[in-house]
Amino acid sequence: MLGSIIASGLAAGAIYALVGITYNTMFSTSRVMSFTAGQLAMLGGVFGSLFMLKMGMPTLVGFALTLIACAIIGVITEFVAVRPVLKSLEQHLYVLSTLALALMIQQVTAIKWGTEPQPFPRIVGLGTGVWDEKFWLPVVACGLTILGLEYLYRRTLVGHAFMAIAEDNFAARALGLPERNLRVASYALAGVIGGVAGFAGGELMLAFFANGALLNFYGFVPVALGGLGNNRGALIGGLALGLFQQAANFLVGGIFSSVAVFAIFIIVLLAAPQGLFGSATARRV
Amino acid sequence: MSISRRGILLGGAGALGAASFPLARPAIAQSSEPIKIGWLAAMTGPSSAPTVGFNRGVTFATEAINAAGGVKGRKIEIITRDTQGDPTKAVNATQELISQAKVHAIWGPVNSGEALATTPLMARAKMPDLHPCVVDTLIDPAKFPAAFRIAPSNGQWDDAVRNYCLKVLKVSKIAVIGDTTGYGVTAVKASVEAFKKDGADVVYSANIDATQPDMTPDMLRAKNAAAQVIVVWSVSTGMEARMFNTRASMNWDVAFVGHPSLASGELASLIEKPANWEKVYAIGYKSCSYDSAGKLPPKSQDLVDRLNKAKVPLNDTLLWWIAGGIDAVELIARAVEASGSTDSEGIVKYWNSLTKYPGYFGNYSFSPTQHNGYPTDEIVMSEARSAKNGTFALAPGYS
Amino acid sequence: MTAITDIPTSRETTTKHSVLPALLPFLGVFALAMILPFVSNDYWALIGTRAAIYWVLVAGLNLVVGFAGHLAIGYVALLTLGAYTTSVLAAGNVLPPVPIYGALMIASCVGAVFGVIVGLPAMRLRTFYFAMTTLGFATIVTQIALAWQSVTGGGIGIVGPEFSAPFNTPWGFYYLCIGFAAVATWLSANIAYSRFGRALIAIRDADVAAEATGISKPKLLVSIFLLAGAMAAFAGGLFASLQTYITPDAFTFDLSVLFFIAILIGGRGSILGPMLGTIILTILPEIAAPLAAWSTFLYAVLLLLIVLVMPGGIAALLDFKNRRPLASNRAIVPRIAGLSDVLRKTATTKTLTLRDVVLTFGNVRAIDGLDLDVKPGQIHGLIGPNGSGKTTTLNVISGYYAAKGGTITLGDDALPPGMPELRAGKGIARTFQTPRVIGEASVLENVMVGGTIEGEATFAEALLSLPRHHRDERKLAAQARAMLGVVGLEALADVRADRLQHSELRFIEIARALMLQPDFLLLDEPAAGLSSDEITRLGALIKAISRRGTGVLLVEHHADLIFDICDQVTVLNLGKILAAGTPAEIRVHKEVVSAYLGG
Repeated sequence: MLGSIIASGLAAGAIYALVGITYNTMFSTSRVMSFTAGQLAMLGGVFGSLFMLKMGMPTLVGFALTLIACAIIGVITEFVAVRPVLKSLEQHLYVLSTLALALMIQQVTAIKWGTEPQPFPRIVGLGTGVWDEKFWLPVVACGLTILGLEYLYRRTLVGHAFMAIAEDNFAARALGLPERNLRVASYALAGVIGGVAGFAGGELMLAFFANGALLNFYGFVPVALGGLGNNRGALIGGLALGLFQQAANFLVGGIFSSVAVFAIFIIVLLAAPQGLFGSATARRV
Repeated sequence: MSISRRGILLGGAGALGAASFPLARPAIAQSSEPIKIGWLAAMTGPSSAPTVGFNRGVTFATEAINAAGGVKGRKIEIITRDTQGDPTKAVNATQELISQAKVHAIWGPVNSGEALATTPLMARAKMPDLHPCVVDTLIDPAKFPAAFRIAPSNGQWDDAVRNYCLKVLKVSKIAVIGDTTGYGVTAVKASVEAFKKDGADVVYSANIDATQPDMTPDMLRAKNAAAQVIVVWSVSTGMEARMFNTRASMNWDVAFVGHPSLASGELASLIEKPANWEKVYAIGYKSCSYDSAGKLPPKSQDLVDRLNKAKVPLNDTLLWWIAGGIDAVELIARAVEASGSTDSEGIVKYWNSLTKYPGYFGNYSFSPTQHNGYPTDEIVMSEARSAKNGTFALAPGYS
Repeated sequence: MTAITDIPTSRETTTKHSVLPALLPFLGVFALAMILPFVSNDYWALIGTRAAIYWVLVAGLNLVVGFAGHLAIGYVALLTLGAYTTSVLAAGNVLPPVPIYGALMIASCVGAVFGVIVGLPAMRLRTFYFAMTTLGFATIVTQIALAWQSVTGGGIGIVGPEFSAPFNTPWGFYYLCIGFAAVATWLSANIAYSRFGRALIAIRDADVAAEATGISKPKLLVSIFLLAGAMAAFAGGLFASLQTYITPDAFTFDLSVLFFIAILIGGRGSILGPMLGTIILTILPEIAAPLAAWSTFLYAVLLLLIVLVMPGGIAALLDFKNRRPLASNRAIVPRIAGLSDVLRKTATTKTLTLRDVVLTFGNVRAIDGLDLDVKPGQIHGLIGPNGSGKTTTLNVISGYYAAKGGTITLGDDALPPGMPELRAGKGIARTFQTPRVIGEASVLENVMVGGTIEGEATFAEALLSLPRHHRDERKLAAQARAMLGVVGLEALADVRADRLQHSELRFIEIARALMLQPDFLLLDEPAAGLSSDEITRLGALIKAISRRGTGVLLVEHHADLIFDICDQVTVLNLGKILAAGTPAEIRVHKEVVSAYLGG
């Protein structure tokens, strides 16, 4: 029982954390929260199933193509829904443009892919019970992603440029950084991370169009808990959410667990608007 | 003008004679105006699978009747409205069919959520309506005198499942699991109560969010409660597949019995290995089930042959959906034929007079006080994984 | 002088004339609604009723989304709540049956409470967070409706309430709902065109300035959430009656998207636009039936197009008035003589005193032990190089930053650190380095915002358009016009503020600040971007203001202006005082001269 709670909680939590990191990656270079984060993860599952099951590709090819497809969707997000509204960021038009794009992605998936959940193939074929790959795969994927991002941000030139833009957009541009290209790159990266989330969580969540909306919310909760732009906060927040949700599932049943998650979300937002690990607000005047 | 009309009438009469409707008699006020049947279909949206099947039956039956000259010379015109399974759209579409398209009878809607909202609306307009929705309260001859059900109600499904568990499988410790949709919650509650009334021991009952990634919690609790059978009330194949897979990974050989969707073709690709789908028994119908020799009842076999000839695909749908669609159109056609007009009272009166009307899906009986037309004894359990052209093998225990 | 006193009265008559053209489209829609029964059938009665019910909800939601700018995307939750509350109470399956009108009222109260609960995060966080909360709430409400079977009937649902004769026929119910829609329009218009409505737009587009004028964001938002929640729940009750039977699956997210997009298609800050948007979106799926499966997709495309191509929506298309070109060679000529009529003589003898104020950002000491005295009737100049802490000083005084040390007192009272929205009440007004005006509101409305806390009528009085509210409005409008006359922008009063030049915005800000009748006025680089003629006139205006007894703290780079009009000058460097004294003393101060005045 406890083993099951921990296995499924960590697995779901890792997926939520990855979606949270997807939010953060897009936010870091553009100051935009995009509703497409959850949809990217949903597409990770759908594309994976499409390439591997429907088209019969080998796992690695399917994985690579899924990530490429998600990266393209990420870039499309930047071009269609982010770039045109960046100049008037304070009007928050991005909420609307990314919501519109997310609805379009979801609706096209529902019509073209179908409204029933469809299977996702086994990838490694290792483990049973609580050690089944559908539980550990998301956790491993999440860990590798975090490590990869840490390496990127700390050790590479591109990563430093990302950090500079995240710190201070205008200063970075003044320094001559190719701010626009870096932003496109970060959206592609966000697409890849979302794709990883969906692919690794495919066996757990299946290839299902409605996962997008679900992950939009459950992926956002870690961001709200951990603080905007804080990947470690998102990781802790995501895992905590997953464990809490699964524990509530086991102990009190499905309906009340979502009510509990929602209540916690509201309470945290009211008590610590910047998240538990977030920094204070920027200057306004 | 008048000549051509007479010509059509004569031709129509001839065709009817050929079709040899037993109740044919001279109509008093005949016209060449088509018989307009409103068809509230959920063609798109999350629950469109049944509609696809029903629609094949509707088209098939309409084409057959019209090819034979129509009903007393009147062609049948199907006016389809896509509700997407959304009650709000269904209400709009119903009112449009009644007030704007001025249809003579309505077939549908096919989801209970829609029917709950549209049935009072139709009752207000005295619109004759046939539907296959399962919620028991949809049928109330006092409140909705023109609404008739041509499929089993929830209560009948429930009876069939309960009989199978208690009398055929002979188990007494029952777990009942449904999803968190309106249907799932209601069905679980009704099922639990009925089991208890029959003296069975309901050791576990739950509603699970169909999107929940892991079914282990509930399965584990059911197992710890020593359940001998798991009764499933859900239309979510994703959730059902996860339950089957979890059962296998727990090495538990409990049987699943329940909702027809347990036999849905999509499950084949959702389960981890084919064996996971064994010992799953879904609600089926005598008319659409084959016996151990692989034989369908003769009337159904005849229908399948005709459908095959008309190139109506069967492999991606269920036979009973097609049969239900055919029965609906024919019931309306015969009512117009028998009552001699498309007036609401005549149609309702005809339906109320039916005893063991031989449809393809089942033998319907209605009376002024009983509008649940489908006989419970024609509901059977079938092997979930035995689908063959929309029909199923009878579950073990039926001779 | 006579000319100025004449202005309000002459304007008042034009205001009355201009109400009718604004009303005409509404009367047109209403007239069309009235004749619908005579040209159509029950089906259109249903569609018309539906549009009317949706509008009751959208009219309230419009204040949240279109005016306050909070993106509530899950408002179907409150419709659901209202529908269930009304149905459960009317059916009497929990308590004894309640008459339908009573049930509707109770549902509205429940809706109001939940409207606030869902809105709570919006008090502190904007946009995406609030959008997410409403989205989460929408999911939860449906799940509760499913789970709480003994009350809601679970998935089987519950019978909707039924109205008694004459409202139990399709057309009877239609007329009833049109009536409710008309009332909803009236209520929302009352708020929209009151000082509360202007304050909402101020919060949306210029929230920093809104705080400086004393608008209390939480209090205002709670009022709006109460109203919008109540209207949504009321609409829910009507919706349940229209549907005759409600199940959780009747409340789809599509419906939420419809409400939300109707407002954005209509245009922010408009009432007519969202109303037309609601009608269009209700009818559209009916006439485009073959596209049913793609309806959500089309809504989404519509939303994206609006955001990217015409952010003003229908309202901007219909705004013919603001397409007339403005004169290009406008000059701002303040009429300072009129100041004495509109700015009352300040009687305060209190001094605004800063003692040893310290403010740090991380390791940077932005202000480091600052002493400052701003005396009534005097102009105190604050100069220094960029980054020396001038604007930061203003921000500390206005409460945007809480000082880490030292005291700020007004007479004998300490000003509470932080809490910018309390400054207006203390008689402290200000302008901003980058003018913070509401681009989408008219110049006049922008100035009227400055007098928000001067209004006496309560929210409820404004909602019901009671006499005290009208008195407030007349007084504020007259005063604002007179203020505009004083700063020389009267001719532009009805023009949308975002069409004005930068220099004109600075004068709007001064007019807005003067609406408070301030004891102290903080001006942040008011001369930036002005021509030399304009600077001269600005100087005269500031001088005249101080002669009415107002203490002025002037942050400026134009040394000429400072030395021309200031009584006292403080020079800052790196957050510390470099020099302080009269202009004559500063002009010869060695360090100041060498560092900033260029010898």
